[in-house]
Amino acid sequence: MAQVRYDEATRIYPGTDIAAVDRLDLDIADGEFLVVVGPSGSGKSTALRMLAGLEFIDNGSIHIGERDVTLVPPKERDIAMVFQNYALYPQMSVAANMGFALKQQGIPKEERQRRVAEAARILDLEPYLERKPKNLSGGQRQRVAMGRAIVREPQVFLMDEPLSNLDAKLRVQTRTQLADLQADLGVTTVYVTHDQVEAMTLGDRVAVLESGKLQQCASPREMYSRPANRFVAGFIGSPAMNLLEVDGGDGSGVALGSMTVPLDGEVGRSVGAHPSVTLGVRPEHLALVPSDGDRTLPGRVSVVEDLGSEAFVHIDVEHRGETTQIVVRGEGESDVRRDDNVAIGLGGPIHLFGPGGERLN
Amino acid sequence: MTTTAVPESIDDSPAPVTADEERRRHQRREAWRRRLPLLPALLFTIVVTQVPFLFSLWYSLTEWTIVPPSDREFIGFGNYTDLATNEFFRSALWTSVLMTVVSVLLSVVLGTALAVLLDRKFFGQGFVRTLLITPFLVMPVVAGLVWNNQILGSAFGVLNWLLETLGFGSVEFVSRFPLWSIVTVLVWQWTPFMMLIMLAGLQSQPDSVLEAARVDGASTSGIFFQITLPHLRPYLELGVLLGSIYLIQVFDHIDVMTGGGPDSTNVPYFVFQRSIGGGWRFGQASAYSIVVVVFSIIIATFGLRVLSGLLEGEDAA
Repeated sequence: MAQVRYDEATRIYPGTDIAAVDRLDLDIADGEFLVVVGPSGSGKSTALRMLAGLEFIDNGSIHIGERDVTLVPPKERDIAMVFQNYALYPQMSVAANMGFALKQQGIPKEERQRRVAEAARILDLEPYLERKPKNLSGGQRQRVAMGRAIVREPQVFLMDEPLSNLDAKLRVQTRTQLADLQADLGVTTVYVTHDQVEAMTLGDRVAVLESGKLQQCASPREMYSRPANRFVAGFIGSPAMNLLEVDGGDGSGVALGSMTVPLDGEVGRSVGAHPSVTLGVRPEHLALVPSDGDRTLPGRVSVVEDLGSEAFVHIDVEHRGETTQIVVRGEGESDVRRDDNVAIGLGGPIHLFGPGGERLN
Repeated sequence: MTTTAVPESIDDSPAPVTADEERRRHQRREAWRRRLPLLPALLFTIVVTQVPFLFSLWYSLTEWTIVPPSDREFIGFGNYTDLATNEFFRSALWTSVLMTVVSVLLSVVLGTALAVLLDRKFFGQGFVRTLLITPFLVMPVVAGLVWNNQILGSAFGVLNWLLETLGFGSVEFVSRFPLWSIVTVLVWQWTPFMMLIMLAGLQSQPDSVLEAARVDGASTSGIFFQITLPHLRPYLELGVLLGSIYLIQVFDHIDVMTGGGPDSTNVPYFVFQRSIGGGWRFGQASAYSIVVVVFSIIIATFGLRVLSGLLEGEDAA
């Protein structure tokens, strides 16, 4: 087991000018579960493949433990990787798939069989050891891919969207097992996903990547309650945070339509320094309230998404002379209907971002 | 009652056919609609292959010499029983086997090696691939002539010019090594075919499997022998079988290079020699050709089985 360090690691694909991963700095502690999340094309898979040694590192370095592995080939990095399509060896049985890496290391047959059997027991794969991958279900294949990784007892697990080929129900179930397994084994894990629910539920910490650049690396709670910039604010959370351009004004407060949101002195001064800033409010920090002058914002309901336990109400409001939509979380089984006239009140923290997207409060 | 309503409705139905019958008719119509466009081609194929085959079958059971003309005489399996004792036929059979097996194996090995080299990105890849495929596009007769005269020949051959320039004496390759000269040309022509099949096999292998093997610690040769070669197995089998079917009936190369001298007469050429090539013994020649057909059918059956296995494998993947 070991910590992992990316030090200004950069990858520029041949024939392009733009870095797929741009000066990535990350410190991953021993035994930590780090989830790298980002939209497609953000460079998250490339970052993982750089750690695996499957991608050349154009600049900077990567360390596993105390060892600089920047130029070390994959087989000498003591890592195990789980691929999105599992990449099982189709001609080999489940047992041979799981024992393949051990065989390459020249580990004797009895020892190999013992470790494969142990991994198969943990993953409930014992009845399938002699089967070929094509005779397994998607969930079983996924477990074989996991088994192939854990028999090696590597320093680091690398997982590239390992759950994205499973159906929704199995994904939730496997997610829990995965978290449990990682906690038991205590192996440092880097996990790449585009699914922010996986990121929030699995990670000790979450790293958000966009256009090859690290946006924020923090615990899921911190990421949610204090997003470092506008991109993270919009990316993390479902439904997404309401983000609205507002005038900076004199810094005493910002106007959201006809509603005024007062600001504290210090925050007000940094907001007042810009002509226009972005105001962010999460749907659960807004509520439908009785109308109350400039402390509430009037609007008309356009869509109600009632999930039973809660309802997301999409409301058209007038803001800066245009109609904009705001999402408010309400009670489940709500009586609100389309075209109802309602008033929105603020019931929680707000987030303010400057013109460059940086956090102001 | 609802139970009586069902038979009643059938009795009262004005249509003379049941729904089942209607469905069967529809299926028959549908089947013919698919078969009809194929029918002319099918008839043509039957006329030019199956009818002559039946004639050959009949001739093979007769003693029939055209020059000098003689009556056709039914002798049963006499021609076939003669085969076993005919030394020339046995020699031709052995040449056929040797020529086919050696050419197929060499071209499969070389084709696989070239495919592995070609299955990576480099500058001029398309150009090199085209050059490598070219021998397969050359007509067999032309290939035989070019090799015979311009490469192996002692008068104009490049190889002999090279040997003489280097101070060695010239070698009359085709007459000294007739079998191996022909095998060389066959390998030259069939390596590109094998290469294309193997290239298709290599390109159907997902990159992630190879990456997984690299991460799992396998060496380059380890990956090739443990992962890639098992993956290529059905492609290798297909290449071997298709190559065998074609190479067992080689004729052109032999005709233009050696004209069927000792060591280079295979069964098809032997059949030719015995019939229209001068022997004029059609009954006997027909028996030889039937033997070749039977062998080819056996090989082809295996070939088709491999091919269907290959397609099923891709479905499952």
